[in-house]
Amino acid sequence: MGYGTHYDVLGLTPAATAEQVEQAYQFFSGMYGEESVATYSLLEPGELREVRTRVQQAYDVLCDAVKRQEYDAALAAPPAAPVAEEPAPTRPAAATPARPVPAVPAGPPRLLPEPVTGASLRKAREELGIPLQHIAGATKIGVRFLEYIEADRHRDLPALVYLRGFVQEYARFLGLEPRRTAESYLRRIAPDQ
Amino acid sequence: MTTPAPVPARPRRQIWSIGGGKGGIGKSLLTASLGYQLAKMGKRVILVDSDLGGANLHTCLGLAAPERTLGDFIRRRAERIEDVLVETGIPLLRLISGASDFLAAANIKYPQKVRVLNRIRALEVDVVLLDLGAGTSYNIIDFFLVSDVGLLTVVPEPTSIENAYRFIKSALYRRFRNAVQNDEVRQLIEAALDQKNPHGIRTPLDLLATVEREHPGEAQILKNEMAAFRPQFVVNQVREPADAGIGHQLVAACARHLGVRTTYAGFVHYDEAVWRSVRQRRLFMVDAPRSRAAEDITRLVRGLVQGETLTLPW
Repeated sequence: MGYGTHYDVLGLTPAATAEQVEQAYQFFSGMYGEESVATYSLLEPGELREVRTRVQQAYDVLCDAVKRQEYDAALAAPPAAPVAEEPAPTRPAAATPARPVPAVPAGPPRLLPEPVTGASLRKAREELGIPLQHIAGATKIGVRFLEYIEADRHRDLPALVYLRGFVQEYARFLGLEPRRTAESYLRRIAPDQ
Repeated sequence: MTTPAPVPARPRRQIWSIGGGKGGIGKSLLTASLGYQLAKMGKRVILVDSDLGGANLHTCLGLAAPERTLGDFIRRRAERIEDVLVETGIPLLRLISGASDFLAAANIKYPQKVRVLNRIRALEVDVVLLDLGAGTSYNIIDFFLVSDVGLLTVVPEPTSIENAYRFIKSALYRRFRNAVQNDEVRQLIEAALDQKNPHGIRTPLDLLATVEREHPGEAQILKNEMAAFRPQFVVNQVREPADAGIGHQLVAACARHLGVRTTYAGFVHYDEAVWRSVRQRRLFMVDAPRSRAAEDITRLVRGLVQGETLTLPW
């Protein structure tokens, strides 16, 4: 699975109370625990280890008021990531940007050289002089996620199924061919998919 | 000019199926109990023992093996499905027994299956309960998919839960196969049934991602099928509080790791009263109506009729 935000990992919304964080942590610790019958046959040992780490990381941040506040601030923007119990939600549609944005070159969509990386996306964006905030405003994807995409912080990115949409929107905004750009970017993250 | 009086809307008859993939987890007893409770609530109920290879629903109700069974209808020894209906001695509750006399019936062909399903749908009842056999054969899956309410029975044991996941995947992939026309996507779906497929597809979410990448135009069909597929878990033989919590874990695990939105219908405690009644070939709902298990069944049926499910407290 993809993991999304700490809130997603614990199946919570950012409005969750401290008590809900605690309850969710207890629940998912049990669900992914050594003795759990609910997940043992569903996940490979490596996946189980990974998800346990994620649950612990999420709890460590969200149960600490100061760390949580910092995390919330970092997430900024509208909550683009869906809650975990929604299997295939639709990503919010692109909206009209709040401010005028620099013009994207007209003409057919461009392709970046293979492989598409966070750095090459960032370079393409900077060449056009488009701030990340403008893309975030138009696509409703949180600035933080766009930064993660550019920084290749794959472990912090949401599930592939959502990430694909994010990268496509990002690419479209820069006048890049969305589908192939996203495919090339995702291939580095999950070469086996 | 007069306006015809509106015809009072009759509640639509419903088909509930009770599956779970594994044998020996109490599907038949659960079916009989649900049927009993529904009949007690005034619903006209027909139990159908669809476990064509290992029918024993009649035993749960304390009946001898009926002379006429679903097998007779399938083999056309009985023309109408009503001809194989058996009274159970409980008001409003009737039974169509499985084909214990005819093992080959477990491999009925598709047109026969359609005939059975159509006749079941046409029965004059409020609720039809299908007791499915163990396993994930197409017969069982198709009976499950035709239902309005699909109950997945599990007991708090690894093997039972492993089989339930297998059942969910098989049923969902069967839905995909029925909905998709594109040959290449159908081949991917077929391949996905093998856990060791060369595409690395282990879950419906993996399959969806592959189809989105390779056949983006077809992905929406799969998403629609995933959204419409809503099996409900029943945890049977609960012995300790943590066992009842497994239902919530299954719902969360299915959503996160399979992309399937299940719900948790309820649980039934392990109860010596059930065991005692089974030994005497009697239904515990009759013999021990105030037992813990009987109260659980009552609560479960009320929830199912009202469309309520168990949810986490936060």
